[in-house]
Amino acid sequence: MKIPRLIINVSLALLASISLSACHDTPEYADDPEGNFNALYDAVDNHYCFFSEKDIDWKATGDKYRSRLKKDMNRFELFRLCSEMLAELEDGHVNLSSQFDVSYYRRWWTDYPQDFSLRTLQQYYLGFDWHTVSGIMYKKLAGGRVGYMYYPSFSQRISETSLDYVLSSLADCDALILDIRDNGGGLLTNVDILVGRFIEEEICGGFIRHKTGSGHDDFSSPYEIRYSPASAGRVRWRKPVRILTNRSCYSAANDFVAVMKGLPGVRIIGARTGGGGGLPFSSELPNGWSVRFSACPIADRYGISTEMGIDPDDGCEVHAPADELALGRDAILDFAISLSMTNGAVQE
Amino acid sequence: MMKRISVIIAFILGIVSGMSASAGWPPYDTGVEPECTADSVDQAQETTMTFKRPVSQIYMLGIGGTNLLDTYLSPLRYHGIAMDLSGQWSKMLPWMRNTWVMRFDGGIGLGSAMNPSRTARMLEADARFAWGVAWSHRFTCKLRVTVGMSADLGAGILYLSRNSNNPASVKARAGVSLTASASFPFKLGRVPVLVSDEVKLPSLGLFFSPEYGETYYEIWLGNHKGLAHCGWWGNNFGIDNLLAFDLDIGPSALRLGYRYRLDSSWVCGLNTQLHRHLFVIGWIPHGIGLKRTRPSEKSISINSLY
Repeated sequence: MKIPRLIINVSLALLASISLSACHDTPEYADDPEGNFNALYDAVDNHYCFFSEKDIDWKATGDKYRSRLKKDMNRFELFRLCSEMLAELEDGHVNLSSQFDVSYYRRWWTDYPQDFSLRTLQQYYLGFDWHTVSGIMYKKLAGGRVGYMYYPSFSQRISETSLDYVLSSLADCDALILDIRDNGGGLLTNVDILVGRFIEEEICGGFIRHKTGSGHDDFSSPYEIRYSPASAGRVRWRKPVRILTNRSCYSAANDFVAVMKGLPGVRIIGARTGGGGGLPFSSELPNGWSVRFSACPIADRYGISTEMGIDPDDGCEVHAPADELALGRDAILDFAISLSMTNGAVQE
Repeated sequence: MMKRISVIIAFILGIVSGMSASAGWPPYDTGVEPECTADSVDQAQETTMTFKRPVSQIYMLGIGGTNLLDTYLSPLRYHGIAMDLSGQWSKMLPWMRNTWVMRFDGGIGLGSAMNPSRTARMLEADARFAWGVAWSHRFTCKLRVTVGMSADLGAGILYLSRNSNNPASVKARAGVSLTASASFPFKLGRVPVLVSDEVKLPSLGLFFSPEYGETYYEIWLGNHKGLAHCGWWGNNFGIDNLLAFDLDIGPSALRLGYRYRLDSSWVCGLNTQLHRHLFVIGWIPHGIGLKRTRPSEKSISINSLY
């Protein structure tokens, strides 16, 4: 039994060629405080999309927190340190997830009035009597003249058929109030479905870009996000629409407002939205923690970033003070009802 | 099911090979051929002889380990298990004195791997097809070598459920590969064995990759710019190497071997390295022909495996 030398030589050559694959190595991180910190720093450094827009010196930030790094710090101390570093991004789309905690930056809404009380809405305006489908609460208000829909989360999938039922049942109203206060976002596909009911032709609703490299300003050209009307046979709303917002409208809810703002017959009423105009990506650290961060900036149809939130229409900024809400008065909703009853004439 | 697939593929091979003379399948085609090179065939050529060019079939199951890196999903390497089901169908062609082999390959692979801290699982699936031809030569020392090319089509996906808007990485490639093999028969006790090493190097082609931070949502919106990339060894290196021992036992043969498959790419700053090390067990329904007897007066079989 003699295997020729040629086979051995060929095999060795093939094994050598395998090493070609190692030409493009990626950084390896140790599973220790320094390795995990560096993995987190690099993931954000390479992929985060708002450094320039927010004027953040990430290197200085990294150096500042790296100086607090200790070899013997435990996982809880490391998590806290990393969370504090990520909070410097002031971005609600940035989270560090571990087996024992998830970090959040909350000041995008905690520093502002809430302008909303679900209990007040349910008790004083809906009378604890409303319909619900696809996560949407709906009812006729103001003696049946104003249709009202409350959609608390874009994570709740909207059924096209259910939406037909909702809009059909409100069809004889003079206007529609679409309340998305406290809506923290969810699926962008729900934005498509909802917008499609309020437009008659395809529109450009905004632009999206993505990182083309690890540099802080390495971005692709903006790409149009187009929205199409709901297909034939679906119910479309052609009357005035009032969209109620507060600071807790974030991410997909923020995108929805950006698309709807400026459409004919649409008024944005309430407070500035919370922002969250960056589509998040995920990465992970050697110790198993997961990190999420904004990676693809979304702009409105005028090319203006939506990351910092969207203002209500002129003359439509209204706040609902907590003391009034406690007494059963929702100033934002009252304003929207009043506007709907007066055919949209806004008093400046 | 397997039999149906093999019948279909063998039928295709029969058509492509020119349907030499009379009906080509199943499972052996026959035809009068004027030119052959093997000694026995030369001898047979002196008289009018019917040649058989059977479609050789090999079915293989590979089980082993996998090592996955895809920086679109994670900067960490995932380690786990992989399984691979594959088949080969080949036959000699009546070209240039019976020195060309035509071959069809198909396979599917599945993998499941964990990150270093074992807190997340990455799933992998791929399917691949190849059709190729190779020139073969048998040296006097019994060593047989083949060199050829194949046209390939492959697609796959890596899925990491914990990620938000980058949960999956799609792989797709179409191109040509260089192929080569060396095989040598020997006896292990009384059992004829064929040891062979065959390698495939994807060389030129087109492959799919999103840009560095591009989401599939944006691709779904219609932004298809820059998704197709020209691939060569510098940015899309791969290898499929199979070291096999075929034991000719009875009418069939048993294949035992080791397979190494690498798919890697470096494009748009994204690094992908998918390694699979597989122990292979296979079945060759009609054997490899090492037990062939002297040609009969009326026919001779030309086996594509050796």
